[in-house]
Amino acid sequence: MSGSGRRAGRGLGGPEARAGWLFVAPAFLLYAAFLLVPVLAALLFSVTEVDRFTWQTDFVGLDNFRYIWSDAHFWRSFLNTFEFISLAVSGNVGMGLLVAVLLERRMPRVLLYLLRFAYFMPVLVATALVSLVWKFLYSTDLGILNYYLRAIGLPALGWLSDGRIAMVSIVIMDVWKHFGFFMIILLAALQGVPRSLVESASLDGAGGWRIFWHVKLPLIAPVVLFCITYATIGGLQVFDSVRILTNGGPGDASAVLVLYMYEQTFGAQDLGTGSAAALTLLVVIVLVTALQFAFSRKVARE
Amino acid sequence: MTGPSFGARVLSALAVLHWRNLAVMIPLCLGGVIMMAPLLWMFSASLRPEGESYRLPPSLLPDSFNPDSYRHALVSGLPFVRMYWNSFVVAAASTAGVLLTASMAAFAFARLRFAGASVLFSIMFIGMMVPPALVLIPIYAGFAALNLLDTPLALILPALASSFGVYMMRQFMLNQPRALEEAAMIDGASYWTIYWRISLPQLGPALAALGIITFTGSWNNFISPFVLIKSLEQMTLPVGIVALQGVFAGAETAVLMAATVMAILPLFVVFLVAQRFIIEGLTMTGIKG
Repeated sequence: MSGSGRRAGRGLGGPEARAGWLFVAPAFLLYAAFLLVPVLAALLFSVTEVDRFTWQTDFVGLDNFRYIWSDAHFWRSFLNTFEFISLAVSGNVGMGLLVAVLLERRMPRVLLYLLRFAYFMPVLVATALVSLVWKFLYSTDLGILNYYLRAIGLPALGWLSDGRIAMVSIVIMDVWKHFGFFMIILLAALQGVPRSLVESASLDGAGGWRIFWHVKLPLIAPVVLFCITYATIGGLQVFDSVRILTNGGPGDASAVLVLYMYEQTFGAQDLGTGSAAALTLLVVIVLVTALQFAFSRKVARE
Repeated sequence: MTGPSFGARVLSALAVLHWRNLAVMIPLCLGGVIMMAPLLWMFSASLRPEGESYRLPPSLLPDSFNPDSYRHALVSGLPFVRMYWNSFVVAAASTAGVLLTASMAAFAFARLRFAGASVLFSIMFIGMMVPPALVLIPIYAGFAALNLLDTPLALILPALASSFGVYMMRQFMLNQPRALEEAAMIDGASYWTIYWRISLPQLGPALAALGIITFTGSWNNFISPFVLIKSLEQMTLPVGIVALQGVFAGAETAVLMAATVMAILPLFVVFLVAQRFIIEGLTMTGIKG
C-alpha cells in the first residue's frame, strides 16, 4: 500500500485517508452498483440460460456464444456495423476537419457565432427526434429529398426502402447530426497551434495548404486520432437512428450490433445470447481503444 | 460592447469580402443553411394545418402561423406535458446527483492522499469504455427483480454512475492551484468545509460544462427509457414522442413536429445562453481525452 505515512494523518487509518474514502464512496458505490456489477452480471448471463419469468439460471458454458457466432443475422449485423463505422467515421471526422479548417480564419464575430451555431445545433438535439424528422425527409413518395431529385430530372430513390442505400441514408443523417462535435474539438486544436510556427513557415514561403499539411496537421494529429477513436466507439453503439429510420431493414440490410442485442434480449427474451452479443461489442471496443492507444504513443514518439 | 474598436471591426468585416475569403465564406454559409434546413422544415411543418405537412414543394419557412398543433399537443389529453415533466425530473435529478458525487470524488482524488486512491481511480477510469447498451441488460433484469421498471428511479440511478464526470472534474482540479486548500487544512478546517467552501466554488466552469453535458445526455437519452419504461405516462420525451408516432400510425405529423419543437426548445435556449461552457466542455473532453 502506498499511503505515505510521512505526515501525521496520512496513510491507511488517518483522518485524511478516512475523508478520502468517504468522499469517493458515493460515486464509487454508484459506479459499482450500476456499472461494475452489471458488467459482471452480463458475464454471468452470457454463460447461462436465464428464464425470463422465474429468473432461474442454468449454466450452459459457451453455448450462447456458439449460437450467435453461427447466426448469419449476427454476422450480417456485425459487418453492417463495420460498414457504418467506416463511412460514418470518415464522414464525421472528415467533415469536422474540413469545416474547422474553413472556420479558422478572420471573420466578423457575429458570422462566426451564427456559423458555429448552425453547424453545432444538430449535435445538441436528440438523435431519436431528428431521426423522426429525417424519416419524413427520406420518404419515398412525399419526401423533400426525392422532390428535389425529381425536380432536377433524376430518378427518386428509396432512401430507406432500398437495401443498397438504406445504410448510406443512415450515415448521411449521422454525419449531419454529429460532425459539429468534431468540428468544435478540431477547431480548438487548430487554434492551439502556436502562431510562431505558422508565421515562420509562411515566412519560408509555404502556402496555406502546405502550412496545414506540414505544420498544423502533424501537431493536431493526436486530437484527430482521439476524434477517430471517439467516433468509432460511438459508431459501434449506433442504435437510435437505425431503430427509428429502418429498424434494421429492409431485410437485414441495415441491422447493427446493438439492434441485434436488443432483439435477442427483449424480442426473443433471451438474456444469455443478448449478453453474449453485448460482450462481443465490449471486446471490440477494448481492441479499438488499445489500438488507438498504441498508435497514439507511436505518433507521439515521432 | 467592449473589445476591438469600431474601426477595427469594420475592417475585419471588410476583410471577409476579399475574393479568396469569399470563395470559402459562400460555401460555409450555404453549408450552414443546409445544416439548419431539416430543423427549419420541422418548425414550419409544425405550423402548417393538419394534412399539409407533406405539401410539395416544401417550404423551409412557415407560410402561415397556425399554432393548432401546439395546442393539440399540450391540451388534448396526450400525455405530452407529463412526458415533458418526466424528462425534466430525470434530467435535473441525474445532473444534480452527478455534479455532487463526481465533484466529491474528484476532490478526494485530486486533493487528498489515501491508500488505494490510484487503484480506485483506475477501476473507475476503465468504466468509460463500457458501452451503455451492455449494462442495460443486467440493469433491466435487476430493476425487474426490484420492481423498479417503469419508474423515474430506473432512469436516474444508472445515470449517476458517471466515471466520465469523475475523470473530467479531477483533471480540472489538478490544473487548479491548491494553495487555498492547503492553507485551510493547516488552519484545521474540516474536509467537508474545504470541499464545500473552497474547492467547489473554484470548479464553476467545470461544473457548468459537466452539468450541461449530463443534462443534455439525459434529456436526449433514448435507449434506456426505451428498454426500462413501458407506459406512456412514465416515458421521457424522445421515447415518448417516438411512441406517439406509433400511436398515430403516421397521421398527425404537425402535432408530432410541434411536440418535437417543444422538446428541443430547452436545449436551444441552453445553447444560446451557455455556448461558451458547452464549447469549453467539449474542448476539455477532446484535448485531454
